[in-house]
Formats: sequence, C-alpha cells, structure tokens
Amino acid sequence: MGPMMQVTRGAAAGELIVRDGDRVVQVFAVNDGRTVWVFERGTVHELPADMDAGRRRGAAATGALTAPMPATVMAVKVAPGDAVKRGDVLLLLEAMKMELPVRAPGDGRVTAVHCRPGDLVQPDTSLIELE
Amino acid sequence: MDITRLLIANRGEIALRIIKACRELGIETVAVYSDADATARHTRAADIAVRIGPAPAAESYLDIAAVIDAARGSGADAVHPGYGFLSERAAFASACVDAGLVFVGPPAAAIEQMGSKIGARQLMERSGVPVVPGRTPSDQSDEGVAACAADVGFPILVKASAGGGGKGMRAALDPAALAEAIPAARREAQAAFGDGTLYVERLIERPRHVEVQIFADDHGAAVHLFERECSVQRRHQKVIEESPSPALTPLIRSRMGAAAVDAARAAGYRNAGTIEFLLEGEGDAATFYFLEMNTRLQVEHPVTELVTGTDLVHAQLAVASGRPLPWRQEDLTQRGHAIECRVYAEDPNGGFLPQAGTLRLYREPSGPGIRVDSGVEEGTAVPVHYDPMLAKLIAYGEDRGRAIDRAIEALGAFPILGVRTNVPFLIGVLRHRAFRAGDLHTGFVDAHLAELLALAPPSEAATAAAAFMRSAPAPASSSATAVTARDPWSDLIGWGR
Repeated sequence: MGPMMQVTRGAAAGELIVRDGDRVVQVFAVNDGRTVWVFERGTVHELPADMDAGRRRGAAATGALTAPMPATVMAVKVAPGDAVKRGDVLLLLEAMKMELPVRAPGDGRVTAVHCRPGDLVQPDTSLIELE
Repeated sequence: MDITRLLIANRGEIALRIIKACRELGIETVAVYSDADATARHTRAADIAVRIGPAPAAESYLDIAAVIDAARGSGADAVHPGYGFLSERAAFASACVDAGLVFVGPPAAAIEQMGSKIGARQLMERSGVPVVPGRTPSDQSDEGVAACAADVGFPILVKASAGGGGKGMRAALDPAALAEAIPAARREAQAAFGDGTLYVERLIERPRHVEVQIFADDHGAAVHLFERECSVQRRHQKVIEESPSPALTPLIRSRMGAAAVDAARAAGYRNAGTIEFLLEGEGDAATFYFLEMNTRLQVEHPVTELVTGTDLVHAQLAVASGRPLPWRQEDLTQRGHAIECRVYAEDPNGGFLPQAGTLRLYREPSGPGIRVDSGVEEGTAVPVHYDPMLAKLIAYGEDRGRAIDRAIEALGAFPILGVRTNVPFLIGVLRHRAFRAGDLHTGFVDAHLAELLALAPPSEAATAAAAFMRSAPAPASSSATAVTARDPWSDLIGWGR
C-alpha cells in the first residue's frame, strides 16, 4: 500500500487540493471525456479519461512491459513460463516514495524477466516480456 | 482633429488593449468581427460591433472595403489597425484617408517605402544607418560571384537576388566552400524564382534580434523608447521579448537609438514604429545592422511601456489627432526590467503546430509586476482561422533576474486546459541556464530544443488528481469528497505509451 493522498475540490471550478499528510498541492484538472488534463505549477499532464481503454490498449500491445520512470524493483512475482491473467501483479516497483504494482495488461504467458529485486530501472527499460 | 469614435480593424488581445485605452480617454469604440468572433471578447467589449464577413481572414479582417464600410456606417472618425492583418498595407492607410478617416499609424508612403526590402535598405544606406554588407555581383559567373564574395568578406551567404524565405540560400564559411555554394544557390534560385541572379551578403553569426521602438509626430519631433531583445524565436516568430536587452552596453544602446531615430526621419515617419536590427558580437565591440522596419504597433510593445512608464496606445491616438508627442527624448528613461512571454495554443513537442479546441479551463495569474493582455477566456473555442496566440504575460521586476522569477511564478499559476499550450515550454526557456545568463541568439530555441522539451512523468499529486477526476461526480456537486489515490501504476500504463 502506498501512502494515502486526499483529494478535495477547491473553491474555484476545476481546482483540486491534494494533501499528502501536511503537504498541500493545488492543481487544476478537467475531464473532457477523452483526456484528464491536470495542471500542476506550470506542468500539464494529459492522462486517459478511461482507464479501461488504457488497459485494452495495453492488452493489444504484446511484448515488453517498461518502466515509465526511474524506479527500484522491490519484488518479482512471476517467473518465465508462468501463465498470467489480466490484472495480475507481476512486479512491485518503488518510485517517488510509492509502491507501484505492475499488472498484466492482458492474459498471457511470461517469456522473460529482465530484472531482479533491488535493481534500479530506467524509463523504457524492458522489465518483463509477455506473449 | 480630436478622435471621438475609433474603429479597431483587428481582433483578440490587441483589439481589447486598444478598447481599454479608448475608454480611459473617453473615445467611443467600434469593433469589427467575423462570424467566428460573433461572441468574442473584443466584440462584446466595444460600444459598437459590426460584422464584416465570414470566418476566413481574407473575407473579413483583410477585406479593406468591408472595414471601410463598417467605419463609415458606424460613424467612426478614425481607424486603428492594430498589428498583423491590414496594419502594414499602404492601400489600407490610403483607403482610410480617402474615406475621410484618421489612420492611427504612419503615412501610406512610409508604409510603402519600408515595405520594400530593397527600397528600405537603400534608404537606410543613404541615411548612414548600417546595413548588412552585401551586393549583387555585376559579373554573375562563378568567378565573378566568388570575387565579389571575397570583397564583402567571410563568412558569407550566397542567396537568390529575387528571393526570400530561405530558398536559394547557401552559407560559405571560407572561399573553398564557394565552389559548391554558388552553383547550388543558383540552381535553387532558378528553380524557386525563375531567376538565377545571386546576391552575396555577410553571414551574421549567432545574431541577436534587437529592435528599437521609435515614435514621431507631425511637428518634427522623433524619439526612441530604447530597445527590446527578441532573440528567442521559434519558426521565425518571437516567443519571449524583453527590455533592456542583456547584451547592450550604454554605448551601443545610444548608437542604436540614434540610428533608429535617423531611420525614422529618413522614412518621413509618423506615429509608432519599430526598427529591427541584427546585433553581432559582444560589449562595446558589438555591431548592429538594419534588418527591417515595422510600421505599426508591435505585439511586444508592453515591455517598452513597463520600463519607460508610458502608454504607447495613448501616444498613438494623441499623435494621430495632430497633437505633439507627450515626451521629449530627455524625458524618457529605462527603469527596471520587463519580459513578455507569448502564450500560444500550440504543441511544442509536435513541431510547435497550432492547436485548435475549447479552453475548458483558463485562469489568468495576477500579482506584483504581472500584466496579462489576452483576447480569450474560459470557454473560448480557439479558431483555426487566426494566429494561435492566446495571451501575453508580461512580468516586471527591479532587475532581469527578478523579472524572470516573476514570469516563472506567474506562468506556474496560469492554468490553461483543454488545448495544448506552450506554457511548460516557456517555463523551460526561462529556467534555462543560457537564458538566465543572457546568452541569446536567434538560434537559441533550436540549439537547446531537447532540453526545453523535457517531459516530466505525472507527479503523485497529478496522478491522484486524475484518479479523482475519473471517479468524481460532476463538478456541479461541490461537496468535498476525499478519495485515495490507489494503484497509480494503472494510470501510467495508459500514459502516452
């Protein structure tokens, strides 16, 4: 479990207050049905509005699962040859003080594991390959 | 003649800027609008609003007859062209005068003369204003062009005499490179313009774009209001402008100001104008060359207003009414530092391509030393027909460092969502060490592009906010709801991959 973060609406439309303990971050966000746009102190993130669509896209793309940011591998839950179902936890990573489960984007079989617990992995590095 | 009712032949932020000045002065305003702008801010802000045509600019804001008809029909006695559109069309200035309207700008003859690159250059040379050394070789053989190039000096540009836009242009750093450059430039010139005549010009290496604001009245007075540095450009368009230039020494500044006033006098100029120069070299050894004259108010005029404490639109209206300039040269000083950031609906990660769409969230920042000139608001559908500039954020500080800090802080409090903008890119430029150091040249953006475009993965807070937005009820229900950001990794699987 990662730390609990609380999100509440601010006074202005689209304003959100994100609290992590006593730390407060003001962001602005809108959901246009396709994209959730988030503005945080001059940085804009575009995230998919429909996570299932994101997972479906993931399922369609077979091959390597990669790390989207620098992270440390905490645990590897599968081995080559294992059959996995969509949503199964394959790896646990830690980044930005949070534990991040890497889940299978679709049903399949693990063909290769390229990391071990304790590894520091970089963005776009292949961690696990599925077929 | 006093102006009582002014038609603004423009749209967006500059139309609003001029309307505000008129309200301060008790002048009534007439807006013109295309079908795309029927409910735009500038259309609603004026006292009178006249439709001039359909959305395409060629059939509305560029239609001289439609604008003149709107002025006559609305009882306007003067026309302000703003920038862009018809502002530098001599025919439009003439049409206004012929219709008995005061044109808030220079005489048509000055627009005409300065609009011709060759004519402007010859006029400047005659008046002793430095121009980039160059000439058209009388002997157009390879040997003749090479001899002329050696005479002008290396590095050199060989380019199409008939041309523009970079076609038929080759750089040669030394005489040996000419063997290839001359035939290549000639072939390109012939292909692009049907004329293989070549022109040779000194290549200015790592030039800065520094321009001088000038102002002249009907009573023989001409002054300059110092410089603006506009070297940060993308796609040959300015993105960040500032005054003073971090490059000018007092000696070069005074020489450049004097040259700009000479240029304005030589052109028989009236009202506000800008002389653009290329600056080469450092310190007192720097040299500057006339580039072109813009015979109108500039987009970046606010930085001059902030450092000189003037209102250039007020002064334009006064001069157009036949009154003398409100300042003498010795009244004008530069104080503090101002930086303008142009906020565009564009995608810096996609070749700076313009973006259209609806501004679903748009909140302007404010605070000490912050000015925002804009033509849009939350809910505005950014049309595809016009320039994608949404707003200008201008930050003022006691010195350059403080102005930069204020601009960064203000851009960080300028949320615009629903359409991609260059706000993160602008912050990237302002934070860049070379920008901080004032180490600028017109190739700055291209030279540092990879660093300026660095994409950050979503933070914990952004990820949690996105999860909230997916699961939260409609914004109308404002009761504070708390959720846990669970499994942020699942957000990341779909993120841009």
